[in-house]
Amino acid sequence: MSQQKSIPSSPNIRVKLVQTFPRFNVSQRWEHAVFLLSIAILLLTGLPQKYNSTVWSQAIISSPERLNTIQQIHHITALVLSALVVYHLGKAIYLISRRKLSGDMLPTLQDIKDAWNMLLYLIYIKKQKPDFGKYNFEQKVTYWFLFFSIGIMIVSGYVMWFPETITRVFPGGVIPAAIMAHSTEAIVTAIFIILWHFYHVHFERLNLSIFSGWLNDEDMRTYHALEYSHLVHEPHSDQDPGDVKS
Amino acid sequence: MLKLSYIQKLPGIFLVIGFIILVNLFQITSTKASEPEQQTEEYCLSCHSNPDLKMTLPSGEELSLYINSDKLQTSVHSPNGIECEACHTNISSYPHPAINYQTRRELSRVYYSACQKCHPDNYTRTLDSMHAQAAEAGNLNAPVCTDCHGSHYIHPPSEPRTLIPATCGNCHTQEFATYQSSVHGNALEQESNPDVPVCTTCHGVHNIHDPRTQQFRVAEPDLCASCHANQEMMAKYGLSADVYSLYSLSWHGVDVSVYQARWPTVQHSSAICTDCHGIHNILKPDDPNSTVNPKNLLVTCQKCHPGVGPNWTGAWTGHYKVSLQRTPFLFYVDSFYSIFTPGILWICGIYIALQFIRFMVDRVRRSL
Repeated sequence: MSQQKSIPSSPNIRVKLVQTFPRFNVSQRWEHAVFLLSIAILLLTGLPQKYNSTVWSQAIISSPERLNTIQQIHHITALVLSALVVYHLGKAIYLISRRKLSGDMLPTLQDIKDAWNMLLYLIYIKKQKPDFGKYNFEQKVTYWFLFFSIGIMIVSGYVMWFPETITRVFPGGVIPAAIMAHSTEAIVTAIFIILWHFYHVHFERLNLSIFSGWLNDEDMRTYHALEYSHLVHEPHSDQDPGDVKS
Repeated sequence: MLKLSYIQKLPGIFLVIGFIILVNLFQITSTKASEPEQQTEEYCLSCHSNPDLKMTLPSGEELSLYINSDKLQTSVHSPNGIECEACHTNISSYPHPAINYQTRRELSRVYYSACQKCHPDNYTRTLDSMHAQAAEAGNLNAPVCTDCHGSHYIHPPSEPRTLIPATCGNCHTQEFATYQSSVHGNALEQESNPDVPVCTTCHGVHNIHDPRTQQFRVAEPDLCASCHANQEMMAKYGLSADVYSLYSLSWHGVDVSVYQARWPTVQHSSAICTDCHGIHNILKPDDPNSTVNPKNLLVTCQKCHPGVGPNWTGAWTGHYKVSLQRTPFLFYVDSFYSIFTPGILWICGIYIALQFIRFMVDRVRRSL
């Protein structure tokens, strides 16, 4: 995705060139930002309702009016998140129809092998981490876990929001099931994000590529070696050149 | 000296003793002389045992003054020595002071305050009741002690227990009739069942509060639970004692418990026991007339959820544990999460822990 740019440099000035590789386009970066915000708001307004007997929940939900406000915020944010999901899926369908959807995020057999080799590396059986492509298996797990989890949250959320309409078509049993799923899935998702996603993007290394859109040369080589060699050795002429920072 | 002084004092001692005796004699004879002995029932009954003894009040009402001495002996008071004058404090002799009451009701409303003398706690509690409020608002028919307990022939109010609903039913005829045909009232009347609630079990005894308030409403599930969460009692009748704990976890129950704990006075309409089961008309769920009979359940739900379809009742799981037979879909979701949740968390946790260890070990090694 990137081409080495040569900058005319005078022999007197030593310039360190940091090559960057575009990783996420503007749409994806916005999607992530909206997704992050809406999930944060949904959790902030949802958890106090779930844990209604705790002190912190009672501090937030201090009156019936406040409860009403919190529920309205939750509903509005849910609509924003739903719109985001519709946009995301719509974009995917559009790209598929034009045969332009990149298959980078699709799980492959290689991911299972990578996961196994990574595990062997982590328990000191292998000396080297496996080389990853554009998205390593950890990132694919993040994406697909959230994909299905948000799917469950949205479906169960609407069942809880419009139970009377839903039961015109579906059996009544879906409502208690939705209540259970919504409540449990939310906790699983929150813990997953904090444990898995935050570890990988904040602790292991600070990876802000989803906000900036690019990844530098070193990170590409370390974490996405296959993608790096692929890009460096077989550059595609139709793709944008990366930014060059000095 | 000593001997002399004793002899000298002797007449004085006699004088004192003599004086005391004299005073006593004088006192006794004087009372006996002025009035015949009257503080006894016997004395009053010498006139009031006449069945024809009566008077007409200014309102035109006839006030019978007859006391049945046989019945009086069965009262809780008379055999314990609490006799006429204990309550009729203003009457100590004959002729009696004039009666100034216009009506029988006025007389009752004044006389009942005599109960306070010996029963101050219950009397005070009653002042806090719905009945006292009704009286304050001008309804003089609101009951006072004697309306429920009787006046001269007072018996323990709960012997037999069936007497309680009948007493309340004197005024609350509609509720009494409904109660009699309910599962509780029926068991009381047919079997003299000692476990079923009577009026006072739910409404209280002396400080009966308005059951239409929000506070009463949100506390109502606890009221039912005082029997229906009792394992031992429910086992006797083959009923589930989990109905309350399961309800508390349900959508309605969670709502109600939040409002009960935090905003008991705020109007809120999440369903409580009586909204579905009825109040005085509670029937067994398999009774065709029960509001929660499967045939009637949808109509009951529609009271709060107007226009819902027939599938709606399937959403109700508030009294049942998750089971494959009753709620298969919920059962599968529950099973899924009971494996999925710990599974995901363990996998994530272990993987991240391994990564963290390797990461830290590598970092330490590099720095060495």
